[in-house]
Amino acid sequence: METNETRKTLLEVKDLRTYFKTDAGVVKAVDGISFKLSQGETLGIVGESGSGKSVTNLSIMRLIQSPPGKIVGGEILFEGDDILKVPESELRSIRGNKISMIFQDPMTSLNPFLKISTQMVETILLHQDMSKKEALKKSIDMLKLVGIPAAEERIHSYPHQFSGGMRQRVMIAMALSCEAKILIADEPTTALDVTIQAQILELIQELAQKLDTAVILITHDLGVVAGLCDTVCVMYAGKIVEKANTDELYARPSHPYTDGLIKSVPRLDKAQNGKLFSIEGQPPNVIDLPPCCPFHPRCSRKMEICTKQYPPVVDLGKGHEVACWLYAENKENSTDE
Amino acid sequence: MTKYVIRRLLGIIPTLLVIITISFFIVRVAPGGPFDGERALPEVIKKNIEAKYHFDDPLVVQYGRYMFDVLRGDLGPSYRYKDHDVNFYIFQSLPNSMILGVIAISISIIFGISSGMLAAVKQNTWVDYLGMAFAIIGISVPLFVIGPILQYIFAMRLGWFPTSGWITGDNGWITVILPAVTLSASNFGTIARLTRSSMLETLRSDYIRTAKAKGMRSSVILFKHAMKGAMLPIVSYLGPAFAGIITGSVVVEQVFRVPGLGKFFVQSSFNRDYTLIVGVVIVYSVILVFMNFIVDIVYSLLDPRITYK
Amino acid sequence: MIFKKKNNTAAINEFNQEIAGNSLTKDAWRRLRKNKMAVISLVVVIIYILLAVLAPILPIYPYDEIILDHQHLPPSFTKNAGELLMEKRLADLYTQAWRQGNLELTEEEDDMLWEWIDSNEVNKVWDYMYEKGNAMVAEGSYTLSSYEQRRIDSLEEDIRTELQITLKDVWYRADSGSERVKLTSLDTDEILAAYAQLVNISAEDQKTQYMKEIEQQVLREIKERTPDLSDEEYEILLNQEFNDMSESRLNTLIRSNVLVKLNNAIRSVGLRNLKDAAEDGTMEFPLEEEISISETISATIKASKVHERQYYLGTDYQGRDMLSRIIYGGQVSIAIGFVGTITSVLIGIILGALAGYLGGKVDYIIMRIVDIMYGLPYMLLVIIAMAIFGRNILNLFFALAIISWLTVSRMVRGQIMSLKNQEFIEAARSMGAPTRRIIFKHLVPNSLSVIIVFSTLRIPSFIMTESFLSFLGLGVQAPFASWGSLVGDGVTGMTLYPWKLFFPALVMTIFLFAMNFLGDGLRDAFDPQSKNQL
Ligand SMILES: Nc1ncnc2c1ncn2[C@@H]1O[C@H](COP(=O)(O)OP(=O)(O)OP(=O)(O)O)[C@@H](O)[C@H]1O
Ligand SMILES: [Mg+2]
Repeated sequence: METNETRKTLLEVKDLRTYFKTDAGVVKAVDGISFKLSQGETLGIVGESGSGKSVTNLSIMRLIQSPPGKIVGGEILFEGDDILKVPESELRSIRGNKISMIFQDPMTSLNPFLKISTQMVETILLHQDMSKKEALKKSIDMLKLVGIPAAEERIHSYPHQFSGGMRQRVMIAMALSCEAKILIADEPTTALDVTIQAQILELIQELAQKLDTAVILITHDLGVVAGLCDTVCVMYAGKIVEKANTDELYARPSHPYTDGLIKSVPRLDKAQNGKLFSIEGQPPNVIDLPPCCPFHPRCSRKMEICTKQYPPVVDLGKGHEVACWLYAENKENSTDE
Repeated sequence: MTKYVIRRLLGIIPTLLVIITISFFIVRVAPGGPFDGERALPEVIKKNIEAKYHFDDPLVVQYGRYMFDVLRGDLGPSYRYKDHDVNFYIFQSLPNSMILGVIAISISIIFGISSGMLAAVKQNTWVDYLGMAFAIIGISVPLFVIGPILQYIFAMRLGWFPTSGWITGDNGWITVILPAVTLSASNFGTIARLTRSSMLETLRSDYIRTAKAKGMRSSVILFKHAMKGAMLPIVSYLGPAFAGIITGSVVVEQVFRVPGLGKFFVQSSFNRDYTLIVGVVIVYSVILVFMNFIVDIVYSLLDPRITYK
Repeated sequence: MIFKKKNNTAAINEFNQEIAGNSLTKDAWRRLRKNKMAVISLVVVIIYILLAVLAPILPIYPYDEIILDHQHLPPSFTKNAGELLMEKRLADLYTQAWRQGNLELTEEEDDMLWEWIDSNEVNKVWDYMYEKGNAMVAEGSYTLSSYEQRRIDSLEEDIRTELQITLKDVWYRADSGSERVKLTSLDTDEILAAYAQLVNISAEDQKTQYMKEIEQQVLREIKERTPDLSDEEYEILLNQEFNDMSESRLNTLIRSNVLVKLNNAIRSVGLRNLKDAAEDGTMEFPLEEEISISETISATIKASKVHERQYYLGTDYQGRDMLSRIIYGGQVSIAIGFVGTITSVLIGIILGALAGYLGGKVDYIIMRIVDIMYGLPYMLLVIIAMAIFGRNILNLFFALAIISWLTVSRMVRGQIMSLKNQEFIEAARSMGAPTRRIIFKHLVPNSLSVIIVFSTLRIPSFIMTESFLSFLGLGVQAPFASWGSLVGDGVTGMTLYPWKLFFPALVMTIFLFAMNFLGDGLRDAFDPQSKNQL
């Protein structure tokens, strides 16, 4: 595996903040996130439901529903330009063309009123110089690639005539057909059964390698991350709590949350005493959180300071960063502030 | 699909039966009818009606005969007019009502959808507020208030339009404008609001997000991806809209003196000319029922998810 | 909906955040209060309802009091009826004088006036002539002719002296020694005798005369009901009617007839007595006192000067006060709106609940009926019903309630279908609760908020329907009024008397706006998901 430094940085997210204004208060769904993505790199984002993974990636595409959502701060540098500042027309040439996305919910992400063929062909025609016929052929090829049987006929059906898993594969085929520089895959395999899951993930990886595409892979599944990703970000309550090289993370999970996540993966090689480990409690509601470590109510190694202040980000070396008071040096000073 | 159409056509039958049955009982049994001793009618008419209804026959036979006549399109003699029967008067005034109704519904659909879409696309701008203000006026202000007020302002004060009259008169087609606008007001309001809210909802939906993520133009997204889904509620509203047009035309024709079916209807309900009222209602019901049928078919054509079981 | 005092020990989560209670009504109420339009609308609606309910004790004239002299007076806050009448008279005289060439104007003025007349704006002509004429009389360039002066004087005299008398009670005393009793408590023959005594005719003659009058009256009714018949046919119908008429009905007819006559006689005696007093200013008006009419009859009357009345919103074609008619019309419209909605919602709940809960055949039949009725232009059926059963408020109300339960029943049925399979219903059933109990104790309250919101949205359309029919003349009949019938009346002659159309239309529109906003607000508050949906 190559290190990040040697390759060109494609995407850099700096201190991104995306808030939602709701009746109950301001939801800080993403609150100060930074990471880098290099050409050809695969970045994994893991975290519990509601931790802000999807919102992060929708922010990158500038697809946040507004209102209620708003990107209130930060920069998203794509090939040096801030996506948050480019005009709408330029944005169109980035979306789908340079960054494409596989959405999480396959049931609702396809237009129910248009045939699959229409939706795929229009995607290809939009960014590639092809005739309609060629585009249709390519669409069929892509469908075959993701394992849709009888693709030549099925391409002319409507989405509701497909099963959830098939729809997800159509979504994937559509996103892959763009041959973008960055592919964002938001839990691309949730609706699929296990055999297909592996197959699809392999497909994504294969294509990514062939085209030198960078991939952001969002998932709950730490096993998937281990197999595919170069780097992993662990998100909790809108923040990245730990970020490291995959091997490093597995070898030395530093944040108690990461530790818990890794422990809770069922593994065959370790005896579990018949019981799975799980992190107690619920993730917090991210409305009006007081300044504190959001994980502290569930943390087994909680300290006094954890309830008072958000921990600083500490670099443990080799790009392994963690936000936890356990590793902060100036604890005493901070308490007085 | 053909099966579906046939099934829906069969579904119309009970409604028509009910209409005819109600009509029969109104004409034959209702108090104040020709068979009610209280009501004395001129000799000629009495003879006409007796000849028509054979009222010494058993009721069932009469009912059967009546249904047969109606299905054939014969609505019987009038209680009031000696010279012609009901069909004559209806077919004299129906075209006028149709013209008015068609223009009114077109106005409300065209302006309703376009201002609803504009309001949705420019949500929370003055365009949105203005459009919705008009829509709320259309919905809240009854058309018998809108009509006279338009008449007062635009015909009497400003003199832009004739106060009343019809295309067959001296003023020609300009006479249609005020009544048609009045008649379209409430449907316009409803359609505009419906379009706005369903458009907004569609624009928030995941599949529109997908389309945006592909980098498509917003105009293409609007017309190719969002339009169809957003139009479904409007199509299903069209049934009630037609009913509203029919009901509304009764008042509008009265206010603007349009020689249409609605005006006839009110007149004959004052005269208690039952055969004529019932005839009008049958005609209106049949129009409405078929409109609903067409709306259903259009809906099923628009929405691929409908299955024709 | 704050029934409980706020709990002091609010729940706190692990982040020291207060956990707000999640009561639906409380939440909805909070959201509603945030919606400014809805709050304003709520206030407006409450004001309207108060006015409608309090109408009988408000200091307004009776809505059905006809004063023909006051026909079509324009609205005014400063001038009373007498002053307006005088203005009208003067404007009229000046205009006539101008048209006859007695009052000369410049050529431009002539052109202007003729232009107004041609474009049907007679009001402007009157206004102009009134101002101009007064100015000219003041500066002496026009002198009133003796005829004109007489007309003015006589009107002035009328304004000064004309009284309006209302009978509060009429008393009867058989002889000076006995207790006086209310006339209305006597039986018909006694009243007849009293009247005969008053006007000096034998009671027998009286009776035959009444019979004739009643005959005329009945004939008029028949003619109205069935126009265009030959005289013989009417003859037959009349005889039939009298044969069918019961003794007591005839008696009531006679009685009401003689009472009207008696009251008129008393009123005219009262007028005669008080007129002089009004003329020489020895009495203060308005007054209320008992006057004796004859040896046996006396009456408590209220008298006031007719032309001192003040019409803030003008009068209609029979000189009735528009303000009072609009308020009473609102009473009728609002009452029909609310009571009608409640009735139709109740019918809808019952049928919908039955269909939803019992399912099977009952469900099928009810829903088929609903389907079929949906396909009918039911407004027209209401019109037919009104034509058949007669035009009065009660029939109108029933006709409306019977056709408007459809949507509610569908809604309730849907709600119940979805609730039916939920656990707590199963639990109730397994504990042996009878069907009816289950429906009314569990299912209906569960769907209540939806129903309340829907009903609020229904009220304006109910009012609109009622007004629609009244506008056509098929609903509420005079002397009663509803907003619709007032607008209907206003439409005739709206160029000359725009206030007749304008005020009822405005008042009604404001109310409908408020109801619509309130309904929208309620729906958004109870169901934040469906923002701005219809
Ligand atoms: N449109 C919205 N309005 C209000 N809050 C929102 C909206 N979209 C997302 N959120 C909030 O933002 C937070 C992050 O949501 P997000 O969808 O990013 O979670 P996620 O990590 O993708 O979860 P999952 O694994 O379930 O997909 C959640 O608390 C969610 O409630
Ligand atoms: Mg997600």
